[in-house]
Amino acid sequence: MKKIFSSIVSVLGLAVALTSCHKTDVKVNTELTPDIFPQTPAQYQAASGAVYIAFRSDYAGAYFFSQSHTTDENLLAVFNSDWIDGNRYSELHRHTWTKDNSGINGVWYYLTNLIGVTNQTISIFNSAPAGSAKNTSMAELKTMRAFAYYMMMDSFGNVPLDTLYGNKELQPNAPRAQVFNFVESELKAALPYLKTDVNTATYGLPTKYLAYSLLAKMYLNAAVYTGSPRYSDCIAACDQIISSGKYSVEPMASYLQMFYPTNGPTTQKEFIFAIPYDASTNGGNLIFARYNLNRNLGIRYQYSGSTAGGFTNPVINQDSGNGLVNNRPSGPSMTTKEYYAYFNDPNDIRNKQWLTGQQYWQDGTPIMVSTTNQGYDQFYKGSAPDAKLVYPLVLSELTFRPRAGTNSDYDLGRDEIAWNTGYRNNKFLPDYTNPINRNQNNDFPVFRYSDILLMKAEAIARGGAATLGSTALSLVNQVRANRTTSAALTSLDLEGIYGERVREMAYEGWHRNDMIRFGKYEGTWGLGKTNADTYRRIFPIPTSGFQTNTKLVQNPGYAN
Amino acid sequence: MRLNLRIYEGRLLPFWLLFALFFAFGQSFAQTGRRITGKVTDTKGQPIPSVTITVKGVARATQTDVEGKFGINAASGETLTLTSIGYTTKDVAVTGETVYNIELAESSNSLKDVVVVGYGTTTRKTISSAITQVKQEDLNRGAIADVGQLLQGKVPGLNITASGDPNKPAAVILRGASTVNSPGAPYYVIDGIPGADIAAVAPNDIVTIDVLKDAAATAIYGNRASAGVIMVTTKRGKKGSALVTYNGYGGIEKVSNQLDLMNADEIRAFLAKNNSAFTANNDFGANTDWMKAIERSTAYSQNHNISLSGGSEHGTYSASINYFNKQGILKGSSLERVIGRLSVDQYALNDKLKFSLNLSNSTSNSNNVPLQNIVLLQAAKHLPVNPIYNANGTYFENFNTPGYYNPVSLSNNAQDNTKYNVLLGSFVTEVKLPFGLTYNVNLSYQKTNSQHGEFYSSYYNQYPSAGFYNNPDPGIGVSHTLINFGQNGSAFRSNYSNTTKTLETFLTWNKKFGDHSLNAVLGYSYQDNVYGDGIQVSSTNFPADNIGYNNLALGNPYGVPGYRINVGNDLTYGKILMISDFFRLNYNYKDKYLVQGSIRRDGSSVFGTNNRWGYFPAGSVAWRISQEDFMKDQSFVNELKLRASYGVTGNSFGIGAYTAQLLYGINGTYYNNGIQAGAYSPFQGQNPDLKWERTATTNVGVDFAILNNKVTGSVDVYNKNTTDMLFGYRVSAALIPGGFINANGGSINNKGVELSLTVNAVSTKDFNWSSTVNAAYNKNKVTSLKSPYANGDSIQYTSPEGPGQSGATLQILKVGYPLGQFFTFKYAGKDANGNSLFFKRDGSTTTQPIQGNDYFYAGSPQPKVLMGWSNSFRYKNFDLNIFLRGTFGSKIFNATRADLSNTSSASVNNILRSASDDRTTDIRNYFYSDRYLESGSYVRLDNTTLGYNFKQPIKSISNIRVYLTGNNLFVITGYKGIDPEINQGGQSPGVDYNNFYPKTRTFLLGVNVSL
Repeated sequence: MKKIFSSIVSVLGLAVALTSCHKTDVKVNTELTPDIFPQTPAQYQAASGAVYIAFRSDYAGAYFFSQSHTTDENLLAVFNSDWIDGNRYSELHRHTWTKDNSGINGVWYYLTNLIGVTNQTISIFNSAPAGSAKNTSMAELKTMRAFAYYMMMDSFGNVPLDTLYGNKELQPNAPRAQVFNFVESELKAALPYLKTDVNTATYGLPTKYLAYSLLAKMYLNAAVYTGSPRYSDCIAACDQIISSGKYSVEPMASYLQMFYPTNGPTTQKEFIFAIPYDASTNGGNLIFARYNLNRNLGIRYQYSGSTAGGFTNPVINQDSGNGLVNNRPSGPSMTTKEYYAYFNDPNDIRNKQWLTGQQYWQDGTPIMVSTTNQGYDQFYKGSAPDAKLVYPLVLSELTFRPRAGTNSDYDLGRDEIAWNTGYRNNKFLPDYTNPINRNQNNDFPVFRYSDILLMKAEAIARGGAATLGSTALSLVNQVRANRTTSAALTSLDLEGIYGERVREMAYEGWHRNDMIRFGKYEGTWGLGKTNADTYRRIFPIPTSGFQTNTKLVQNPGYAN
Repeated sequence: MRLNLRIYEGRLLPFWLLFALFFAFGQSFAQTGRRITGKVTDTKGQPIPSVTITVKGVARATQTDVEGKFGINAASGETLTLTSIGYTTKDVAVTGETVYNIELAESSNSLKDVVVVGYGTTTRKTISSAITQVKQEDLNRGAIADVGQLLQGKVPGLNITASGDPNKPAAVILRGASTVNSPGAPYYVIDGIPGADIAAVAPNDIVTIDVLKDAAATAIYGNRASAGVIMVTTKRGKKGSALVTYNGYGGIEKVSNQLDLMNADEIRAFLAKNNSAFTANNDFGANTDWMKAIERSTAYSQNHNISLSGGSEHGTYSASINYFNKQGILKGSSLERVIGRLSVDQYALNDKLKFSLNLSNSTSNSNNVPLQNIVLLQAAKHLPVNPIYNANGTYFENFNTPGYYNPVSLSNNAQDNTKYNVLLGSFVTEVKLPFGLTYNVNLSYQKTNSQHGEFYSSYYNQYPSAGFYNNPDPGIGVSHTLINFGQNGSAFRSNYSNTTKTLETFLTWNKKFGDHSLNAVLGYSYQDNVYGDGIQVSSTNFPADNIGYNNLALGNPYGVPGYRINVGNDLTYGKILMISDFFRLNYNYKDKYLVQGSIRRDGSSVFGTNNRWGYFPAGSVAWRISQEDFMKDQSFVNELKLRASYGVTGNSFGIGAYTAQLLYGINGTYYNNGIQAGAYSPFQGQNPDLKWERTATTNVGVDFAILNNKVTGSVDVYNKNTTDMLFGYRVSAALIPGGFINANGGSINNKGVELSLTVNAVSTKDFNWSSTVNAAYNKNKVTSLKSPYANGDSIQYTSPEGPGQSGATLQILKVGYPLGQFFTFKYAGKDANGNSLFFKRDGSTTTQPIQGNDYFYAGSPQPKVLMGWSNSFRYKNFDLNIFLRGTFGSKIFNATRADLSNTSSASVNNILRSASDDRTTDIRNYFYSDRYLESGSYVRLDNTTLGYNFKQPIKSISNIRVYLTGNNLFVITGYKGIDPEINQGGQSPGVDYNNFYPKTRTFLLGVNVSL
């Protein structure tokens, strides 16, 4: 009996010993937990990077499309059934978008996510050690958030002011004027702490001059946003940048190079704030050549590593062999006839950003394309559809003259004629330095000195007081002196300023803003853009907004 | 004499025998009576080994050996009681004879079958929960490496879908999807080792598979039991019997069905009919069957399994080695696997102490088709007028057509290989204590290792880097992305291992007081799981192509501007700790009233600090009406049992080790002072409230046997509610960057009926026929999707991204609808010009419908009814098994057919014959709409096996069985795709997505030899 008892006791003792552990904590030593990160200034610096990645992510993508494809600057056509994509592009072009438009939903996500990332980063920096470094970091973060709210206000008008990370209380739409005031006050509060150095160390980061640029843009458009013009405030903000002496207009000789894949903080004097796109990053890329370059020009511009290989005088569309790598851009984007009409000065260097008419190799020989009669024209009715056809590549201007046989008047067809339709913008030169993918190293300017000069000129022309001895005419001529060999202008009206902005700011993401301010957004252009609804000056709150915030109210004019 | 009792897992002796055993400790019996011998056979004359023979009223017992023979001391007037699994217990009076040849009848209602439950075993008659047992002989036969496929159609309520891919396990869903987030696969317990990798077991080594379905059965594994628990029992040795068996087969496979694509003449005629033609860049006068070009005409497989087992007085052993080799029907795919297994049971201290050591190692070598989904897509859309090779022997390519790559060259110029190893070991100590107590300490260790390599040769240089998209399997948030192949060859290599260490200890108390029986289990479980321990790396720019992925040191990635070495993702590594206490009590009165209650308390490190622990209770009752006195006088009903149960189980699948914690991760790089600096930001916020997802199941069932046990069956009705569902909910990105948060919210309901019926129609000496039908009906519904921030209204997902259809989605996750609900355009026929019309939201028609706005609810991918019908015939030494399987009431979105109906592109991409009446000018004919939604109902002749037994062909061989099996002999279906058996698992069930690995028809010839 004793033996039994002792065995039971020993077994139970073992049982208790084996079952005593009830601690479920796992020490995490393979991840960055808040108790170890961020602690040092360098770690805080690394923690702020997310903001610039979020800003970069879709600025040259969905956001650029929403600012460019809604204007006469740019459109994305349909090629038979290619690029229909739920009509998202035709809706932007023809001003027929609804709250379901996936491009507009994409912009909403881009901007709300940028706000969320800055809110989160601000909450991290709240625990940073106090001092001037923290003050500067906070000012930089709040400037970036103000920038995001500026874009929200500019695109969507009445948007919720979410400023606290993780806040579970949903905010209703704030009226556009209130968002305007928020952005203005945030920028003004940040100004004293922002850096004034303009060099590699501040490239891509918000400086005092970015804040002034944003304020200038706000004040120039104040009549649109709030109904109350503030042109003198715009001029004052521009003067802060002009009188700093840190920027100058890029000379004609290096104007085009300003946008090349090799651009950066030391290659130009104009960029006040640019997004340093890098082909090797994965959180947002610039891929303008994919959309804007003609399909038959991949080899010519070394698109995504394209090379002619052993073909000494290549005819495009030869298949393969001899090291030929022919990455063909999709190339569905082009400008309208109405927009291109502004490029009417043959002496203007800015004409060279366009691909028009006949195309040539570097050595001046014409580019030839190999196809068949039917490949050239899908509606070919002759007797030899299969017969080989080699033709010289000529880009034709886009006209609204639907091709007989296509399915809709937004459809250019799916053949060489269709692909060679439309003048193409080549300002952000395809990246010949990146042989492995379509990502481009071109840094994308958000604010440029020329824009500041033109904004000031416009503010003066619209009734603001001239300062620093300059006039609207002198400012515009200051830019033009570095763009054209034609004689300086002797007179200038608002229309002249608009034309100068078209030429100077093409494909830089500001044309929607300009067209609305100049009252041209309700015009007629391109492939049947005739809609003149004025409520479309702001976009609808998109479906995804309502899905995550039930307190939102739709903007006026839009169906919910 | 010593008691020679067989005690092994999977068998529980009658209680009175246990009593006798305990009474016997430390004592010795005087031998009484005289020696009698005999042989026990079944009704067919086959010897039955391991029959327990006891002398009634005395603690004297023995077992039959492998030839069914026995010897025992008994006196005249005493009674021998013979018991054996699967046979009716028989009493034989001892007379003056000394040799007894006894025939045992098979117990057709299998009530005495030992059923494996968590932490113990029980008999079928005393269970009160829903458990289905499948025995070795009832498992599906064929060249099958995957346990899921062995069970296909055998268990009501288990929805298993498999493709022909030898390297892809079948998707297994029990009683409908219980959550959106998790893979939904059941939890495997192998020989008591919880969470073991099923790849460690060779199908030949399986004795039984018990599928625990209701919460009363599974709640003892509370923390991971929401999708059901599958208990696998493998072979063990038996005392006093030495067995050697060999099982082997060789098989051949052929593709069972093809996409109905146009051949060269047909597509030329189609274009001509539409006033169109190929251009010279496309028509090379060939007539290539591209699907055939990527397939083997015949794939071969073979399997060899040798198993040895035996036992002496104080121990048993069982060992086996299994070699399996199967070619996939797609060229380049294959699976080779070797599994070795050893189990040893050793008894000590008068058999009161038992040690068991189990070791198994499974090592497999899988060759996958490189870029398999792309190869399948390219083969489908390649023009038949294109040749595979140019005249000079190089691969034909036509890069003028965007996204057009020769599938044969894709596959032949790359490698994709995975080597997977599972090491599973356990050490079990069982101590029998007085007073009916048993104490177990189970230690187990599992290490899985996956070594993966991919290589893309310099041939890939010429593929357009700006237009080579992947073709991923569908899901929420899954979209096509560009693939980068570097330059001059690119290679990937990864090696990751997962390690699980488990300690389980439990005390069992078995007690019988008169008519009252009690069984109680009190236990503790500790599990430590480390996953993603390893490394990934990539390189590019190799001097030659034949190096493959085996020597990354020869690459020069620095010579390629912009190339980034891929070291894998953050959060790959994780460590999880799970601790549980559990208690279960079984009570039964006269085997008539059965009650079970259990509770499990589970803690897991993955949850928020406020909610680490969850409690999972369960209870069940059963009433064996047939045992009541008022049933005594009838003979129609042999068994009738009513069961009812309710229980709650938990789920933490689908979230990682650190999901509840605030963590900073690398967010990419950003420009900082001239360099691309690493950006580190929180990728998830702290969620201290993150807690267990809970699934509550109510189950009511009845088991019956009538007509002298000729007809047996059971019916179960269940209602399964998942609450606090773990899911990535949408939230405004302005509040939480990224726009979603892992949280508890939302719920899913599954209701269903399961039925199983066995009829032993004929049972004579020479001829037997038995037939089993099982059927299951399930209805699935998402009942809530609520995030902590706002009402998650709905999520549209599954984007096949066909040409011109970016943003088009096929499915919607919405309250009130089942998981996978189709939501798409509604086709309205053609207009006068032959252009496709679609309904607009207001009911009018248009040729240009708007995505989202003009979508309609269009049916559910989930089957209403699943059926299996098995027939076994035996005529003398021949046996024949015919198994049919059916799925009814499901819808399949045939996105493959939609994409291959793009008539406007017929001059550059091949189309299906079914699109031949559409015009080339109809540019939206292939738009995803209910036009491409089809019934997924089918009936398949899944398996037919004809066997012949040579009984004792020579003296030393006890049995040789030769059999011929045919799999997938025919399918009756209206489905227009390759096969209606489309993946039912995951978030995007029922979508045929250009990625369907062809199904095959298999024939195999096998032999089993027992020595």
